[in-house]
Amino acid sequence: MFRVMLYSQWKWTRLIVALGSIAAFALPLVSVQGAARADSNPLQAGELLQAVQSWGTLYPVLAAALGLLVAIATWAPDHRGRHVHALSLPLPRWRYVLLRFGAGATLLAAPIVAVSAGALLPGALAIRFALAVLVAYAVFFAVSAGTARTAGIILGLIGSVILVQIIAGVANVDLDLFGRVQVLVLNWPGPLAIFTGRWMLIDV
Amino acid sequence: MTNAIEIRQLHYRAGRAFQLRQLDLNVPSGAIYGFLGPNGSGKTTTIRLVLGLLRPLAGRITVLGDAIPDAAPRVLARVGYVPEQPHLDPTLTVRETLRFQAAFYPHWDSPCAEHLLRQFELDERTAFGRLSKGQKGKLMTLLALAQRPDLLVLDEPTDGLDPVVRRDVLSALLDYVSQRQATVFISSHLIHELERICDWIGVMDNGRLITEVPMARFKNGIKRLRVAGAPPSAAGAPFMILAREHVNGGAETWVVRDWEPEMAAYFATIGAALNDVIDLDLEEGFVELLRSFRDRPSSS
Repeated sequence: MFRVMLYSQWKWTRLIVALGSIAAFALPLVSVQGAARADSNPLQAGELLQAVQSWGTLYPVLAAALGLLVAIATWAPDHRGRHVHALSLPLPRWRYVLLRFGAGATLLAAPIVAVSAGALLPGALAIRFALAVLVAYAVFFAVSAGTARTAGIILGLIGSVILVQIIAGVANVDLDLFGRVQVLVLNWPGPLAIFTGRWMLIDV
Repeated sequence: MTNAIEIRQLHYRAGRAFQLRQLDLNVPSGAIYGFLGPNGSGKTTTIRLVLGLLRPLAGRITVLGDAIPDAAPRVLARVGYVPEQPHLDPTLTVRETLRFQAAFYPHWDSPCAEHLLRQFELDERTAFGRLSKGQKGKLMTLLALAQRPDLLVLDEPTDGLDPVVRRDVLSALLDYVSQRQATVFISSHLIHELERICDWIGVMDNGRLITEVPMARFKNGIKRLRVAGAPPSAAGAPFMILAREHVNGGAETWVVRDWEPEMAAYFATIGAALNDVIDLDLEEGFVELLRSFRDRPSSS
C-alpha cells in the first residue's frame, strides 16, 4: 500500500521535490562563496559571517515553502476527487491519513539530504533543516486535510485576532496581541521556534 | 431470504434544505435492485450512507451482515463501488490505477482485470484525466468488478455514456452477476435500462422511500383505468388510487397501483363501469407514482 501511495504522490510532487532539492543543495554552497574569493583575508571575517548569516534566512523560508507545497500536493488528488475514492477504500481513515503523511514525509527526504550534501558534512544544519521542513509539512498537512469549513475557522481565528487588535488600537487600550502571539508561536518552546534564530553560525 | 443491505429508521440531514427521514430499505441478497428517483431525491446520499462515507444522525445500516459505519473497512473490502462522478487520481495511467487499486483489495483478480482491460479496449498508458467520459466509466466499472465483490453499488454508472459504451458496461456487469450471484444496488435515471435488468425496485423522492417492490409487481400492478359513472368517493377500493382525472361527461381516468384482474368486480359494487384497463410502462408508472406522492399533503 505504501509503495503505491508513494508513487502516486511522487507524480504530484516530483517537480517541487526536484527544484527544492536543487535549491537545498545550492544554498550552503552559495552562502559561503565569499570565502573562496581571491581577495578575502582574515580581517574580513566579520563581513563574511554577516554575508553568510544573510543567506541563512533562506533556509527557514525554503523549509516552509517545501512543507507547504508538498502538503498541498499530498492532498491534491483526494481534494480533486472530493475524497470519494479515499473514503471508499477498505482501510480505516487514520491509516489512510498515515499512509499519505508518510509518503509525503519520505519524499521530503530528498531536499534534506541535498542540504546535507551541499553542506559537505551531515550535521546540525541538516538536522535543523529537516526538523523545520517536517514541522512545516505537518502543520500544512493538517490544515490542507481539512474542509473549506476548517479553513474558514482558521481564517476566522486570524481575522478575530486582527479585529481585536484594531479595536484595542482605536480604543487606546494597551494590548499587543500580535506580540504575544509571536512570542507564543516563534519563541522557544513555541511550535515554530525552529524557524527563528541564527541558522548559519553552525556547521558551515 | 437475507438482505445484503438493510436500512432501519435512518435519519440524515445535509444543511437546512435536505434530509432523509425514517428511511427503511431492504436489498435482498442476490437481487439486482434498481434505485429510482428524480434529481435531489436522496439517492446518492443514501448510497454514501450505505458505504459509510457519511455518518447518519440516527438509524441503523447493515451491509453484508456488518454494521455501517463501524465495520466500514471490512465491508468495503467486499463492495465494488462506481460513483456518480469520476473520482480517481487524474495523473495515474490506467495501468498505474490498476496497480494502486490492487494494493488495497485482498481479493483483487488480476486475470479478470486484464480480461476487462482488453474487452473495454482501454489504453493502459493513458492517464485517467485524459480518458473520455465513456472510457472513465469503463475503467471505474473494471475496478469495481476486479475486486470480486459480493455487492456492487453503482451510482448512475451509465449516465452520460453513449449507447455502445452503456451496453458494454451493462453486459460486463450482468456477466459478473450471473457468475458470482452478487447483489447489485444500482441507481439510474435511465428507467428503461433498469426495467430490463432489475428484479427489485425502490423509488425515492424528497428524502423518502415511496415504494419498494419486486419489479414484476411494480410493472404489472400500475394501470390506467377508464371508468364511467363513478361516485366522488371511492372508499373501500382494494387498490391504491394514484391519480383520478375527469375526461368528459361522466368518464374518468384512474391511475391505480397494486392492481389485480379480479378487482374489476369492485366497480359494480360502487355503481360504476370499468371500460378499459391499460398497461403502463415503468416510466409512466414512475411518473404517476411521483405525482401522486407529491399531491398528498403529508409528502411535503
